[in-house]
Amino acid sequence: MDVALKIWRFDAETGEKELRTYEVDAPEWACLLDVLDLIKDRVDGTLAYRKSCRMMICGSCGMRMDGRAILACKERMKPIVERGHVPVISAMGNMPVLKDLVVDMQPFWAKIRRMKPWLETGYEEPPEHGEYRHSQEAMNPIHKEALCIMCGCCVSECNSMESDPEFFGPAALAKGFRFVGDPRDRTKIERLESYNDEHGIWDCTRCYFCNERCPKGVDPRDAIAKLGAESIEEGIDRDLGAKHAKWFVRSAQTTGWLRETELVPKTQGVVEAIKQTKFALSLARHGKVPLPFPPHVAKDVQEARALRELVETQGRQGARGHVQGEKALSRIEHAVLADPEHAGASRQAPEETRQ
Amino acid sequence: VNVAYYKGCLASLSAKELDTSTQALAPKLGIGLHELESVTCCGAGDIHEAEPDYYLHLNARILAYAEASGHDTLMTICNVCTLNLRQANHMLQNDDALRVRVSENLEKVGAPPYSGGVEVKHFLWLIAEGDGFEKLKQAAHKGLKGLRVAPFYGCQILRPSKLLGFEDPDRPWSLEAIIEACGGEPVDYPAKVKCCGFPIIQAREETALGELIQPIEQSLEAGADAMVTPCPLCHLSLDAWQQKLEAATGKRYRMPILHLSQLIGVAAGIEESELKFKRHVVSVAPMLEKVEAP
Repeated sequence: MDVALKIWRFDAETGEKELRTYEVDAPEWACLLDVLDLIKDRVDGTLAYRKSCRMMICGSCGMRMDGRAILACKERMKPIVERGHVPVISAMGNMPVLKDLVVDMQPFWAKIRRMKPWLETGYEEPPEHGEYRHSQEAMNPIHKEALCIMCGCCVSECNSMESDPEFFGPAALAKGFRFVGDPRDRTKIERLESYNDEHGIWDCTRCYFCNERCPKGVDPRDAIAKLGAESIEEGIDRDLGAKHAKWFVRSAQTTGWLRETELVPKTQGVVEAIKQTKFALSLARHGKVPLPFPPHVAKDVQEARALRELVETQGRQGARGHVQGEKALSRIEHAVLADPEHAGASRQAPEETRQ
Repeated sequence: VNVAYYKGCLASLSAKELDTSTQALAPKLGIGLHELESVTCCGAGDIHEAEPDYYLHLNARILAYAEASGHDTLMTICNVCTLNLRQANHMLQNDDALRVRVSENLEKVGAPPYSGGVEVKHFLWLIAEGDGFEKLKQAAHKGLKGLRVAPFYGCQILRPSKLLGFEDPDRPWSLEAIIEACGGEPVDYPAKVKCCGFPIIQAREETALGELIQPIEQSLEAGADAMVTPCPLCHLSLDAWQQKLEAATGKRYRMPILHLSQLIGVAAGIEESELKFKRHVVSVAPMLEKVEAP
């Protein structure tokens, strides 16, 4: 089949940037990586990209296709060719581009290292007789996080990291939970303390791009939620994000609805809240600061209160509460429900601008 | 179609205009609303993160009351409620043991049990296709001629698409289809599917504003007269925090932000007393003046 690609070429040394179109004849089974290999082999040997295993396990060939971070070895070209589409290929986001499709992953690795991605078992030697044994059940909670191949697709699209480049990010935090949730590790509290730092867990804006993009089903956002749940469970709640979350629990238990006006002092503290007075008054003029008294109380709110007391006795606090739903969620067939004919209604900017 | 209506926190509090405009619009689109009474906050991303088992029970309780009301559709008007309820629903529908445990807990505290018979749909989805879309074309008799509208989807109505699944999360079309059906012109810009920063606007204001600036500046550059969003949290961020963005950049944006129900409401001739534009921080008046007579 004839395959056409538009590739963003870039040279960091000269700063030159150009969108070039390539056409090659490729076998029907070809994936994007195969096509790049053919282009490099037959058309232009200067094209730069990373690759190794060609089977979705090394994590080298992360790049963007039409603005979405993907693994080049996972994307089959046949359906794309059949609909006459010429995809735009570019380097991943949130990392500096070195050449063409190759990004500098040093900042990525620095963040992974910051998580101490190794087991701290607390012992040097195995026990005198035999080995330390752990049940499969005890290992299951970190099953998803252990699938990470560190390709960077999640980091590429992270909305918080675009705004705060220091954010540890989805890959590093998922790696963090892989150790926090490991029954062999003895440093859970130290890890949680460290992951609660300024650019840690509570920097996540819950945009869910990481879950959407991860080619291995790690669901990094869910891993971050597990770290948040474990932190709250262990009483590590110094961060404004944790205080914000706790106020929602308090609201649900007392009035049933969010106690919106009290959210600012409960999150940021009274002093900060007073500093925000001018802003608050500007919102109050438009009815955006509902009076906390009399409270807006949900009907039958005592049920919500009793539920909290009940679940507290059932031992599903912390990450266990997240893990319990994973089996069910893994059973969902991924399908877009609405009529695809409507897709024409979307006025999309040309793919070229979506680099 | 009759649906159980869950309005959520913001439409009960700081975004009352979303509730009143939804209640005024829905009957014109053939959607009968049965408002649920004995329901609470869905917990947003916050209870989901901090106390996931409590999150599951709170959402199961909402689903249970919807089921007990005799409806098979629970309609939401907020992205965060939509994701929370759909996620909880998937967990309960696909794991019998989990559903039985949660249902028993609900009964212990006096709430109805949940058997998994409800589907959660956002108002946007009911309008964007099928009967709702046909009725929209009839209802929008006043039109939005001359108006350029930037759709802003927000995150949790698109991603994770496995749980939401209405449309392609990278190439959504529903808001554009509605803007066109109302006679307006949709404008395109890359940040329409990105985050408004709201979930961390209290805890990390600077990071959140760094996200918020993208849709505001890009839609302005694309020539939009107004933005429309299906999420009251995005609305609050885009409308109320816009002044902080202006203070930080020294620029003047004054971009009017409309709830979906308000934009259609203008096209359908719904009164200001229901649309309540006075509750917006950024004035909507310049945009309303641009709408030409049909």
